[in-house]
Amino acid sequence: MSSVRVLGLGPALRQAALKPRANAFRMMIPKRGIKTQSLPPSAMTEILNTQRLKRPSSPHFTIYQPQLTWLASIANRMTGSALSVLIYGYALAYLAAPGVFDSAHVIEFVGALPEAVKYTGKVLLAAPFAMHSWNGVRHLVWDTGRFLSLKGAYQTGYAMLGATAVTTIALVLL
Amino acid sequence: MQSLVARQAVLRPSALKSSARTFATSSVRAQAVPTEKPVLKKEFKIYRWNPDEPAAKPKLQTYSIDLNQCGPMILDALIKIKNEIDPTLTFRRSCREGICGSCAMNINGQNTLACLCRIDRNASKDTKIYPLPHMYIVKDLVPDLTQFYKQYKSIEPYLQNDNPPADREFLQSQEDRRKLDGMYECILCACCSTSCPSYWWNQDEYLGPATLMAAYRWMADSRDAYGAKRKEKLQNELSLYRCHTIFNCARTCPKGLNPAAAIAKIKLELAAD
Amino acid sequence: MSSALAARSALNARLASTFTRRSLRPLVVHARSVSDDAYVPGGPIYRGTVNDPTTFPPPSKSHGSYHWAFERLLSAGLVPLTVAAFATSSSSYPLLDGLLGVSLVMHSHIGFDSVVVDYLHPRKFPVLGRIMTWTLRATTVGVLVGVYQFNTNDIGLTELIAKVWHA
Repeated sequence: MSSVRVLGLGPALRQAALKPRANAFRMMIPKRGIKTQSLPPSAMTEILNTQRLKRPSSPHFTIYQPQLTWLASIANRMTGSALSVLIYGYALAYLAAPGVFDSAHVIEFVGALPEAVKYTGKVLLAAPFAMHSWNGVRHLVWDTGRFLSLKGAYQTGYAMLGATAVTTIALVLL
Repeated sequence: MQSLVARQAVLRPSALKSSARTFATSSVRAQAVPTEKPVLKKEFKIYRWNPDEPAAKPKLQTYSIDLNQCGPMILDALIKIKNEIDPTLTFRRSCREGICGSCAMNINGQNTLACLCRIDRNASKDTKIYPLPHMYIVKDLVPDLTQFYKQYKSIEPYLQNDNPPADREFLQSQEDRRKLDGMYECILCACCSTSCPSYWWNQDEYLGPATLMAAYRWMADSRDAYGAKRKEKLQNELSLYRCHTIFNCARTCPKGLNPAAAIAKIKLELAAD
Repeated sequence: MSSALAARSALNARLASTFTRRSLRPLVVHARSVSDDAYVPGGPIYRGTVNDPTTFPPPSKSHGSYHWAFERLLSAGLVPLTVAAFATSSSSYPLLDGLLGVSLVMHSHIGFDSVVVDYLHPRKFPVLGRIMTWTLRATTVGVLVGVYQFNTNDIGLTELIAKVWHA
């Protein structure tokens, strides 16, 4: 008995003894149509990852409510980038062709433009400059730990918009 | 037994007579037709995507329900739709009182908890319900929050102190305790993080407002001794400094908390180091 | 008796473990390769299991708080600098004008750089992101040279803007 145990043959012998009867019993039951597949726990990751690869990403800025918070932020970035592109563009142009883009030529070119174009151009330059400057100040005030509440964010936001409008008009009429 | 029946039979006429008025009123009350509420149909457009048909693009499905036969909150409407119209509609919900954070979703363009968001009774306007923005969708309104939780775990959100007081618990002054107000109440619903454009573009590295506020909650705790280590972790260009103080997080928080202020304070403390 | 039982269970366990290892090795290897190799930053597949925390990049103050503080000081400095440069004339104070020019270019560079980091970070766009980063750096150097040339050989930024405004 103990030798059988040590070899671990116990279950096998028992199964062999039961086999004919078990088979006879199984023949009476109709076979099930469902096949099951057993997988180890480690296969979980792969199944999950194949599912993950099919998942869509939910919509974001197209469905998000327009709010002063993030619209001011993206406007800040866009105005800053536009003005910087202008500086970069002019500096590179002057570097490439100092004879064409020197101050005398530029002033002469702008002076020859019709008044309407001049004023439009001034608004297009003054508004982004004013907005980026005032919003920059707003950000600096936040960075010192002031107006860091939702109410503060909206108060400073509206103040920034008002200051931008006033500054733009002032700069255009300068 | 027989005598009992007989006694009842004898008693019944008098019992009827004595309580005639009571019975009359209650029966009238039972038969009274409740004042008919008018039907107030409102359309709900809900984001649908089924993982069993992954090739089909996500779409908005329209459901129309009678607001007068429905609870006041968006979650009530969702449950009504699931119960009565379309049992395949899938969303997370649990406590229905704004403390579990399960039903976070984008309702009319704003991230909030469906259980805390009232239905707009204006029936001429439809209500659009999307899952939390810029998240991978498991099904319908259920986003995959794995990364969000992994990030929360990365800031070690528990008290760390190698020298606990020998004979008693940690003591804290009322003033120090007050520093944690407005931060410990966070229920990790992920509304703020998924409202943050920086988190939309860089959520694999940027921790997002919820996790950063949790990080500051432990930096600000007078009992925690690992502040320096916690701060050092954030010294890189992505984990913390993708925050551009947009304030969408404070705007959207359904618990009225202010992650933007917490992050600004982290930045100040890091700069002072 | 108990020793016999222990021997049996140990044998069974070893048998079982060799069996699992042999029959499941391809699956296990495959699973690991999917989770690690298929990782794309921002993609739907994450590093490690759901219970592993995300990791942090190596700490570096020059990418962290120093960068942030420098950016704020520079921005704050631009306010009085702009006012001063336009209040005076660039021909009388060429140094002030030059300082404004350099500060504006650095401020622009940091701004463009944060745009690249936000939208085109090299970890997500290994080719385009690196091209953009280095193009930006080269362009900024060129722009600095251009501004220096303009401020030394021509009338200077402030005066140009003032004159164009009233042209």
